[in-house]
Amino acid sequence: MPENLKQLLVTIHGFGEGLLGPTLWVLAWTVIKIVILLAPVLFMVTYITLAERKIIGFMQVRYGPNRVGIWGILQPLADAAKLIFKELLLPEKADRTVFFLAPALTLVPALIAWAVIPFAPGLVLADINIGILYILAVSSLGVYGIIMAGWGSNNRFSFLGGLRSAAQMVSYEVSMGFTLIPVVLLSGSLNLTDVVNAQKGMWFVIPLLPMFVVYFISVVAETNRAPFDLPEAEAELVAGFITEYSAMSSGLFFMGEYANMILVSFMGSILFLGGWLPPLEILSFIPGVIWLGIKAAFLLFVFLWIRATFPRYRYDQLMRLGWKVFLPISLLWIFVTGLGVLLFGKA
Amino acid sequence: MPVQMPDINLVTMLPEILIAILGLVLLLMSAGQDAERGRKVNAMALAGVIAAAALTVVTANGSSFGGFFVVDPFARAMKLLMLLATGMVLYMSMEYMRDQKFDGGEYQVMTLMALLGGMIMASAGDFVVLYMGLELMSLSIYVLAAWRRDDVRSNEAGLKYFVLGSMASGFLLYGISLIYGTTGTTLFTGVATALSHGHISTATIMGVVMVLAGMSFKVAAAPFHMWAPDVYEGAPTSVTAFMAVLPKIAAFAAIFRVLLIAFPALQSHWNPLLQLLAVASLAVGAIAAIGQTNIKRMLAYSSIGHVGFILLGLTAHTGLGYQSVVAYLAIYIFMSVGAFAIILLLNKAGVGDEIEDYKGLGHKRPMLALLMALFMFSMAGIPPLAGFMGKLYVFMAAVQSGMMMLAVAGVLFSAIGAFYYLRIVKFMYFDQPAEGAFGMELDFSARAILTVTGVVMLVWGLFPGALLSWSGASVKMFQ
Amino acid sequence: MVADLVFYLFAAVTVAAALGVITSRNQVHSVLFLILAFFTTAGLFVLLKAEFLAALLVIVYMGAVAVLFLFVVMMLDVDFESLRAGVKEHLPMGLFVGAVILAEFAFILSGVHVDEAVQTNAANIPNTQLIGQVLYTKYLFPFEIASLVLLVALIGAVVLTLRKRKDAKRQHIPSQIARTRDEAVELVKVAPGQGA
Repeated sequence: MPENLKQLLVTIHGFGEGLLGPTLWVLAWTVIKIVILLAPVLFMVTYITLAERKIIGFMQVRYGPNRVGIWGILQPLADAAKLIFKELLLPEKADRTVFFLAPALTLVPALIAWAVIPFAPGLVLADINIGILYILAVSSLGVYGIIMAGWGSNNRFSFLGGLRSAAQMVSYEVSMGFTLIPVVLLSGSLNLTDVVNAQKGMWFVIPLLPMFVVYFISVVAETNRAPFDLPEAEAELVAGFITEYSAMSSGLFFMGEYANMILVSFMGSILFLGGWLPPLEILSFIPGVIWLGIKAAFLLFVFLWIRATFPRYRYDQLMRLGWKVFLPISLLWIFVTGLGVLLFGKA
Repeated sequence: MPVQMPDINLVTMLPEILIAILGLVLLLMSAGQDAERGRKVNAMALAGVIAAAALTVVTANGSSFGGFFVVDPFARAMKLLMLLATGMVLYMSMEYMRDQKFDGGEYQVMTLMALLGGMIMASAGDFVVLYMGLELMSLSIYVLAAWRRDDVRSNEAGLKYFVLGSMASGFLLYGISLIYGTTGTTLFTGVATALSHGHISTATIMGVVMVLAGMSFKVAAAPFHMWAPDVYEGAPTSVTAFMAVLPKIAAFAAIFRVLLIAFPALQSHWNPLLQLLAVASLAVGAIAAIGQTNIKRMLAYSSIGHVGFILLGLTAHTGLGYQSVVAYLAIYIFMSVGAFAIILLLNKAGVGDEIEDYKGLGHKRPMLALLMALFMFSMAGIPPLAGFMGKLYVFMAAVQSGMMMLAVAGVLFSAIGAFYYLRIVKFMYFDQPAEGAFGMELDFSARAILTVTGVVMLVWGLFPGALLSWSGASVKMFQ
Repeated sequence: MVADLVFYLFAAVTVAAALGVITSRNQVHSVLFLILAFFTTAGLFVLLKAEFLAALLVIVYMGAVAVLFLFVVMMLDVDFESLRAGVKEHLPMGLFVGAVILAEFAFILSGVHVDEAVQTNAANIPNTQLIGQVLYTKYLFPFEIASLVLLVALIGAVVLTLRKRKDAKRQHIPSQIARTRDEAVELVKVAPGQGA
């Protein structure tokens, strides 16, 4: 960290402690850090929607949104305003508490997971030593929002969507979890900073290429994105678990989905693509944060690319892929990696 | 922290390893499409059980995994009994399984896994291992009890056993955690050392009580016996036969180990409880069985009564007492397997489980009826059969340690119990058979099992010397 | 001070959620309360510096077990009102037994003596590492048995529930791939006006 920045931090701390006293200041500082972290995340969430429409438009040889601002650059803000000011509807027979809790429960896990993501050496909100487990734990909570939405809406289509999603997320979490084990084996740590540092010699995507592919496809399924967007398949389930949601309550689901997409892209970059490390030593003058951003942006682009390219899976095919293809492959690769670590040592 | 491996002594665990690997291999075989796979799996399972028994005999004393797994004469004796019981049950139920379409192969895998769990319990030197072995055994048997999945009664049996068994496991675990919390170790020997010098807290005693309650459930000692009649009745007969022998041996082995190795210091606390369990089991076994009309239910109560006798032998706390327990267990296996072999045979021929259905068996199939009578007389404890010898030694042990009242109770309840055993004999010989009943063929396996068990009843009844010296040698370490 | 406050917060929510589990009229709410109780229990584990156990609790119990539980409760149309029918009559007995057990435990635990050996904990080693080290060395044997227990549970679940339905349509991918043009496509010459 540059010297003058450190100086600035010390000044801020001194000012804050003088203002609030040490205990309260720690709390306030944490809140400030969280805000600093989440503001860009939410900004990204907003603009990935525009990126999605533009990129898919490009792939389908059309323009995409281009009316609000130049190149439609203000479109997300217009959408947000619309969602906020629309009427919030509650189905008559819905379970009120569950119905309104569900959207929040979808978004919150997607946001709190960011706490352990290291953007550059030392630039992480909570550098805990079980970072990977924390991410797994938090991402496993995301399913509740959807299943509660499906049940709380008291609507058959919603319910089916919720059930599909529950089964899908539980299934793919297994293979996703297993793809992380070789990473942990190679780096010898559950701490994400250590994981990135262990990739100094070689990014894990090289020895673990099959795992990277399995990881990426699994997270596409985890986030309920096309071609695995069966829980909200509009053709058969009329938007599935979101059917009964209106205004910002449905907006929260979308925010959760996009926040999750961005999160897993960052995770994929950190776990397999060397995080903030530059691809070549010569390029290290570019800050690590930017490298991480580029890698994550690439993965996000692939997300959208897949959506524009592949038709939706059938549910039995989805289950087959998860349990009968990915699970054995990842188990095998854990074995292979373990053998490699035993013979050649860790990375 | 340096990683330190405990001493792993795989040679002492060979029988268990054999059974485990065999189970996995058979599981792969049972995934095949071969229509004859059931027969092959059964043959291999039997061969494996025999091989494991041979290995058990030759395994030397020793321990593995830092005292978690112990092989001593008692463990060997108990494992031999379990292997013997499992082998006999597997052998006699082969035809029954074919009839019932159980012969996909998984049945035998589950049986072997239950056996493995039981063997681990018999060799456990640590509460954690004991618990894991118990769960392995119980879980397999829950599944086996529900094996006839389209039959409501079989489902009920499996579910009831599962729910109540989980409850018992909960008690056991709670007890173990109290013991661990107050002594700082889960090793049996470690617990004994901690208790021998140092103050004994009430929490430890509560822990022992809960462990004992959990184990009592597994042996179906009264008042933890409620599940037994329903489960015995509902489960497929081959499973009932298995359930009547394996878990009892395993759980008694575990009770021996826990009480005599980990808690000798608390004997004054747990012995009254054992006596209570013994008397209650004797009473329930004798009195509740009288009203039963279903032979499997009746045998369930009868097994509760036998548990009472075994517990009575244990409470004597003398060499003779322990010896009588092991001898009784051995005799019980043969009686029980023999009786169930006949029920199985009759089941296969379409004869129901009601005692009424046995009317006139003596007229149609004199040999079968004679054998059934033999087993019933032996269970009732009528000389000169093996069952009499078992009871005799238990009473001798009780009298020797001055438990006159308990011995008298035992004799009394055994006299009451004789009534319902004899009722079956009465039905078989003094009632007329229905038209066309009992027209089944005796296959070789049935003949073999019945011959062996029948001969054993007579031989151990008349010449109990070998049995006694064997059981005496196996419990010498507890004196 | 803050840690104490957080502890009481988590503990209070855990107890409240546990009460919610048994008092909710709606069974789905019960499961949701159960999940909340899991979550706050995980929080308590974190306060005890057992973050590995906390993560496991969340991943395994909340992420998998409770989801399936919720799944089943939502799918099954169990008439919980009829199950509840006998509660009023049995309540006094149940309360009595519960009170007796509680009293016994209070009596026992009031005089409890916790051994020093249990309390010692190598504070400097991350507990993930610590658990891994004892699990794969000292407790290797129970660990291996646990794998068999899980295998048995797996076989049991399959054996008791798998029904090979005759009328189910199954996808057989090898045969799909092995299809050739010759067996799939037939070229027919149809005279004008004759096709139907």
